[in-house]
Amino acid sequence: MDELIIKTTNLTKSYGPHVALDNLNLAVKKGATGLLGPNGAGKSTFLKTILGLIQATEGEGTVLGHDIRTEGDAIRARIGYMPEYDALNPDMDAIHQVRYSGELLGMNPTIALARAHESLQYVGIGEQRYRNIGSFSTGMKQATKLACALIHDPELIIADEPSNGLDAKAREFMIQTLTTTVQSGNRSVLMASHLMDDVERVCDNIVLLHKGKLAAQGAIEDLKAIDREIEIHVWGGATRLEQALHADGLTVRREGRVMRIAHTGEDTSTRILRCAAETGAQVRRMHEYEASLEDLFLVIMENLGYDVKSSEDLLASPALARKVDAPAHMGGGGA
Amino acid sequence: MTEEPPLGQDAPPVQFDAAAPVTGQGRMDAAWGSTAGDEDLSTPVANTPAASGEIFSQEYKPWNGELNPRWMRNWAILRHHLLGIFKKGHRPWGMPTRLFILVVFIASLSNAGLTLISGLIGESTLHQLWGVSRDNLYGHVLGFFPRNVLYYPIIAALLVGSVISEDRQHGTSALYFSRPITRFDYVGMKFISVAVIQSIIVLLSLTLYYFAEIIALGRGWAWIMDTFPLFLAAFLSGVMLVFTYTSIGLALSSVSKGKFFPGIGLLSIVLGTKVLAVLVSTLFDREILYLLSPYDCMAHVGQTLIGTQPTYDQYSWTWSLASVIAMNAIALYTLSARVSSMEVTRE
Repeated sequence: MDELIIKTTNLTKSYGPHVALDNLNLAVKKGATGLLGPNGAGKSTFLKTILGLIQATEGEGTVLGHDIRTEGDAIRARIGYMPEYDALNPDMDAIHQVRYSGELLGMNPTIALARAHESLQYVGIGEQRYRNIGSFSTGMKQATKLACALIHDPELIIADEPSNGLDAKAREFMIQTLTTTVQSGNRSVLMASHLMDDVERVCDNIVLLHKGKLAAQGAIEDLKAIDREIEIHVWGGATRLEQALHADGLTVRREGRVMRIAHTGEDTSTRILRCAAETGAQVRRMHEYEASLEDLFLVIMENLGYDVKSSEDLLASPALARKVDAPAHMGGGGA
Repeated sequence: MTEEPPLGQDAPPVQFDAAAPVTGQGRMDAAWGSTAGDEDLSTPVANTPAASGEIFSQEYKPWNGELNPRWMRNWAILRHHLLGIFKKGHRPWGMPTRLFILVVFIASLSNAGLTLISGLIGESTLHQLWGVSRDNLYGHVLGFFPRNVLYYPIIAALLVGSVISEDRQHGTSALYFSRPITRFDYVGMKFISVAVIQSIIVLLSLTLYYFAEIIALGRGWAWIMDTFPLFLAAFLSGVMLVFTYTSIGLALSSVSKGKFFPGIGLLSIVLGTKVLAVLVSTLFDREILYLLSPYDCMAHVGQTLIGTQPTYDQYSWTWSLASVIAMNAIALYTLSARVSSMEVTRE
């Protein structure tokens, strides 16, 4: 059985009448896990609750075996938190900022300094460590925040939007660093991000929150099974074929000559070819379409009643996220 | 032992392994370059060209050390703020603040220096003016001009200006609260840090002043027994002064995101209420507004503690004490409420 690093049972957090977390039953395994959800889904409340910074209204939970209600200090000593927003003093140089973050955990100043050098080297800051943070680029600031989180070699790193605002090169390096931390360092990462590609590259598992409730959790590969499709490229008679496929009870998404048909069983390919033969359409290419996390996210959100074309539409728009409610059959008030 | 060949005879030729014949090619290559490229157009290149010129190997290094307990974390906060006054690598206090602390510390020692001089040259007039006495001890801590106009409130304003507000401004509150540091420890250590720096100026200079008198004039036990209660009363008044300026200043710092507002706010409260009370007192002969002035309330209590002639005679000193306590209570409540609302996830 996989070791669980975070486990919650019926975790509920209310602010007066507003329920921020609603009966959350989570089981996060060791390794890299993505925390997804639109604005207002309860990600920040969830993070604060598992850090032991706010008390849950109901339910219970453990992080690394520590009770979130009574052992917040012990949890925060064993995790490394990388905040989304600036959390560095621009008038300090990176090496001393990271050393201070270690001292705040209770590290001896000499040891903290040695570890600060190692951590900054690891995140690629190198000799720039003696520069004032105020002169750093966004990527260097993000890397310094990660070094602050890694200084005491925590078992779990909580990274809140680690690649936010980074250029392509810095983003690639951040993703690589997190991946190395999980694979070589054998550490766990809980990564909250709006960038599906990044989550998919770093994480094996995801947790998707929606309006304080758990919308989905599990291994990305397993979850992708709910969105298996067969992609075909058609030459001639595309509309006739689409109609035939619909008539045969298949779900079709079409963009010009390319169609994606939902995988309903082992005979799906046969049914597609039969429809093509009947309508006289040429199927020039046919293969199983491997869904991305973006696709998966959209499918889940579609089930929840959102009408969006990309995760960015939803995640970058708190207004839309608030406006659209989950459908009644999923416990919401209707879209 | 090998026999040397006789002189005049040729030495036997050196034998080389047939697998590695000596052709002289190496020397030819060294002199004229290799033969690579003679017959074709290929260019000799290094076998393993560097990809980008970067020498960087990312390697995760584990750490198996033990984290120290709560007192060490609190000490780290205190140390960070205190050592920042003197050296790089800790809290970066601004250069004007550091310079002003130095200037004010030296200025605060003016009475100690003049006491020493009076002892050295035996000038009694100088000693009467500057030597340790009930009024001079009061004046060292609670004298209005220059100490509570130019020295102590400005020092307090410079110190408290950004101590908490910078954590809101830069988001560094997340650095504290995502670690096992409670809000009580956070605010407590910041409070003590600022209070200690002020105490160095107010209380250390008072102590040095008192000891300067003992040393310069060779005071004996009888004098010490006689004046020590006065010194203690002045010391206690100094503690009250430092505590009150710190609590009001940090409360202002906690409601702000910049360092200008808390600094100016503290000076306005200390000096503005004083000016207002003086105006009302002068124009209408009513001293009641002094109860709104932190400085006047502390001065009234200090005068009673030290036993100097009171300058506030329309109401009891206990009213002033109650006012000081109320001001501190309001300031500490504001401070704790604002620090409780500081966020980890976003500010």
